[in-house]
Amino acid sequence: MWKYLLEKEFKQFFRDPGLPRMALAFPVLMMLVFPFAVSMDIRNINLAAVDNCMSEESSRLIEKCTSSGYFRLVYHGQSADEAMRLMDNNKADAIITIMPGFDRETVSGSGFPVGIKVNTVNGTKGSLGSQYILQCVRSYVGEKNAASGTTVPPAADISEKYYFNPGMDYKLFMIPALIVIAITMITAFLPALNIVSEKEAGTIEQINVTPVSKTAFIACKMIPYWAIAFFILTACLIIAWAVFGYTSRGSVLWLYLFTILDIIVMAGLGLLISNYSSNAQQAMFVIWFFAVIFMLMSGIFTPIASMPQWAQYITYLNPMRYFADAMRAVYLKGSTPAELWYDVAGLAALGSVMVGAAVASYRKTE
Amino acid sequence: MKAIEISGISKNYGQVAALREISLDVDSGEIFGLIGPDGAGKTTLFRIMTTLMLADAGSGKICGMDIVSDYSRIRKIIGYMPGRFSLYQDLSVRENLEYFATLFGTTVEKNYGTIREIYSQIEPFRDRKAGKLSGGMKQKLALCCALVHKPSVLFLDEPTTGVDAVSRSEFWKMLERIRKSGVTVFVSTPYMDEASLCDRLAMIRGGEIIGTGTPEQIISAYPYRLLSVEGDRIYPLLKRLRETEGVISCFSFGASLHLAYDPEKTEASGILAAIRESGLGDCKVREISPGIEDCFMQLARK
Repeated sequence: MWKYLLEKEFKQFFRDPGLPRMALAFPVLMMLVFPFAVSMDIRNINLAAVDNCMSEESSRLIEKCTSSGYFRLVYHGQSADEAMRLMDNNKADAIITIMPGFDRETVSGSGFPVGIKVNTVNGTKGSLGSQYILQCVRSYVGEKNAASGTTVPPAADISEKYYFNPGMDYKLFMIPALIVIAITMITAFLPALNIVSEKEAGTIEQINVTPVSKTAFIACKMIPYWAIAFFILTACLIIAWAVFGYTSRGSVLWLYLFTILDIIVMAGLGLLISNYSSNAQQAMFVIWFFAVIFMLMSGIFTPIASMPQWAQYITYLNPMRYFADAMRAVYLKGSTPAELWYDVAGLAALGSVMVGAAVASYRKTE
Repeated sequence: MKAIEISGISKNYGQVAALREISLDVDSGEIFGLIGPDGAGKTTLFRIMTTLMLADAGSGKICGMDIVSDYSRIRKIIGYMPGRFSLYQDLSVRENLEYFATLFGTTVEKNYGTIREIYSQIEPFRDRKAGKLSGGMKQKLALCCALVHKPSVLFLDEPTTGVDAVSRSEFWKMLERIRKSGVTVFVSTPYMDEASLCDRLAMIRGGEIIGTGTPEQIISAYPYRLLSVEGDRIYPLLKRLRETEGVISCFSFGASLHLAYDPEKTEASGILAAIRESGLGDCKVREISPGIEDCFMQLARK
């Protein structure tokens, strides 16, 4: 019986004009296109330099910035008003102001009269831009000390080192996260739509008058999508290795384990959605609602720690938060489930609540 | 043993009462018709009898099994064809049939005898997707799928709605053959002319059974006499007739009017005279025997 139910689901899946192609294209597209698209590496920041010193030292500092590759010099002059006007017109993203006496003071070590203004209309570009400028200034100071042999104490000496992803490579950072998004979409939302469409077609009614138990019927609806989820996970890992040369630092087994945990949560959610929607349109809207919240509040694109406290509380209810955190930790850091016990606990708790609620709302007869 | 026995079934959707104290008996091996207009509660009653829905009150038995506690056993012995085509459009004819056979733990080969006569008509298209079949063929496929496990009771919810006249009469011939093979058929329809094809029938209106019996019993219980009136100016005629003394009811019935009168109060000639008096005299009047629809109209008036 199960065999035949499954056979029918797979038959319908492969007969669908779009689904099999989508399942194939999805991991390829995701791994080859999205890591570049969602990259947070920012280049070509337009920099305006207000140079009130016009000395050799000041032009070396500006050169340092432009040669870093992050900046494009759009203005180099003495008018602060002109630089501000450029920023107002969106022609400049950052202004570096060098005060008169810059050369004298840096050499004597008595000060470092440099000001930085950053346009933060685009927050990411702004904060990264100011970091890049600071980096340039820092390296300028470092070089200067080395060259002159003097022991000028820099105003601040902060050295940063990025562990687990030394080059701050966003592609590497995004790969586990994209896998998380793909698996969530496939295992929660596609089966929900599938079940709702059987409701719409009336076929579920026809099945309900047969001796087939609803549990068997629903399980057989979900299993093909689980198979697809594992296929996508495997395909993504292979592409990441073959194209970018990335491999998981932790055991691949743990990646699969967390995927199974996530699948349980998502199966519950998918079933809940299908129980409460009577047509595909309703289901689509609910899915869209959850998909957006899951993604934006998962820490995949923006760190959870930088959210306001109340928003952070909401993320505790987001299964994607735990799943994304676990996948990144295993993939980038080589963590084990014992170290990620809170992610395991979070997924397990949400899973039991979702599945419990889904089963409770899913009655045998109306 | 009765094939279907239900008593006191009631069902409400919020404030709306869909069924009120429905009681019915269906003998084994008969074609039982449930006749009533749209919204009378036919589909709700079907869903309760086929264990898809629980009634608010009342009890029922299918082949002696309780519709609530024995639902899983009932599902093995009934076939259900919902009003809307609900098979898998993306599976072929053969695949649909095999799928439903498997769900009931049997095979098409084992029960081929039951469906042969109907299936042979769609067999040439066995590899065609169900969604690509014509309306009549879809209906035959649905019937095959409902019969493939040799059910004892077959439930057909408005199987002939939206089907052309030729296919309808063909369909009723198929039901006759299914009945002969020993299956009890419970069928609903909004078409009064199909009522005479049932062995027994129940008329339902507003969630209540307003009459039940064989077609002959129902017709013979008609208490009045009936005239068919045909004329040029139907509407003024209808208005005039309804005001005439002794006329119980008057309805338009296709191109003519059916007029029921109380033979104790008036006669056909008296009515004719009344028409002539009002200047609407150029019409044909003849005595007719009542049909099921006339009976339904009369019972629905109460």
